[in-house]
Amino acid sequence: MFAAENGLKGDPRLQAISKAIRVVPHFPKPGIMFQDITTLLLDHKAFKDTVDIFVDRYRDMGISVVAGVEARGFMFGPSVALAIGAKFVPLRKPRKLPGEVISEEYVLEYGTDCLEMHVGAVQPGERALVIDDLVATGGTLSAAIRLLERMEAEVVECACVIGVPEVKGQCRLNGKPLYILVEPRQIDNRC
Amino acid sequence: MQNASLESVFYSQKNHISPPFLSPSSSDSLFSPSPERHRVSVATNSGKRSPLNRFNNYQPALHPLRCTVELKQQMATEEAAQIQDPRIAGISSSIRVIPDFPKPGIMFQDITTLLLDPKAFKDTIDLFVERYKGKDISVVAGIEARGFIFGPPIALAIGAKFVPMRKPNKLPETQKFPYKLVSCKEGNVIRVYIASREVISEKYSLEYGTDIMEMHVGAVQPGERALVVDDLIATGGTLCAAIKLLERVGVHVVESACVIELKELKGRERLVDKSLFVLISST
Repeated sequence: MFAAENGLKGDPRLQAISKAIRVVPHFPKPGIMFQDITTLLLDHKAFKDTVDIFVDRYRDMGISVVAGVEARGFMFGPSVALAIGAKFVPLRKPRKLPGEVISEEYVLEYGTDCLEMHVGAVQPGERALVIDDLVATGGTLSAAIRLLERMEAEVVECACVIGVPEVKGQCRLNGKPLYILVEPRQIDNRC
Repeated sequence: MQNASLESVFYSQKNHISPPFLSPSSSDSLFSPSPERHRVSVATNSGKRSPLNRFNNYQPALHPLRCTVELKQQMATEEAAQIQDPRIAGISSSIRVIPDFPKPGIMFQDITTLLLDPKAFKDTIDLFVERYKGKDISVVAGIEARGFIFGPPIALAIGAKFVPMRKPNKLPETQKFPYKLVSCKEGNVIRVYIASREVISEKYSLEYGTDIMEMHVGAVQPGERALVVDDLIATGGTLCAAIKLLERVGVHVVESACVIELKELKGRERLVDKSLFVLISST
């Protein structure tokens, strides 16, 4: 669900967050309008508002785990985790995490990729939140959900700053709800 | 002696003196340490339930548990002048060591277990924030990927922007179709340039081979004061590359901040005169 339709309609913070995100055409390849959140991170107020909106939503949900997807999920997840008193679990590309891990493969446009999590990072029954900067097809988030569920954690929700409209009609991943702050913009009107 | 400055935030008593060194106007300001120098023995695991108990191959990370204050050469020879903040013990014991990762012989300092301990993680961030808040730092640069975990919470707390320092080809850049050409005539030669890139790169050496670090040029302005953050300093190569990138665009790097220092790899020396602050130093 989009934040604007779920209690934050007309919230000026959402507009500022959307404006702070830069659109880079044809990156990484022609035809793709890349949603660049690094400009959001440069805007202290907008960045803080982003984190605050997530914190306000998840603070009282009994969430003990925030899982962030490498690497842009690392930029948002830890701050949310710290504010709600949860632990932060990084979900990483293969061979980055030392020690015992579990892996989950997922499908890309061409080929597959893999996401890993530490064994023992979450306990059965823990309530978890998955965070990433953007959701497109949902492939990465689905892999993240599967990793957590394999360790018998309960994924309460997936949270993304940006969500592609196609997901709107079916705001569920593996049956899990999805919470999105803003839609991607097509054209950067600040060019 | 004239260049020695010892700044410490790790006094157990509340009213510690805040070092002035981070203000733009101070040069080599001296901060006299308390004449009382005593070693404090710190308990390791207090026996409280730790998420680490669930991991195999767990070994306590670092002995002894000492914080490292910013030392110049003269002070390096002096023994344990530090008085340790009580939070350091919990942080240190939350870090696990994985032997032989990523290859045989390396004892890997794994901070993911620190992140599983909300109190230890919060204390880590607080210790950095207490040091850097109100010091006119407008940029926190974090090195991919573990610097992305510590940097943003610090940036948010001190009112700075966060700038990711990334592996190659990750930072998006406008492709400029068609290419924007700039021409200038020098004598009989016309030189044509493609308009300048949005991303700058710095090559640095690894144990075997080299790597490249990148930054968005427009993320920072000349004259801004910056902090560089990473989870750990080993040889110092990565930190040096990050500092170079920022300095190339006119940013003043006030200090580098890491959770862990691997002293035997002499990263501090590689940084030469660049300031380094760490919470935990392993010998």
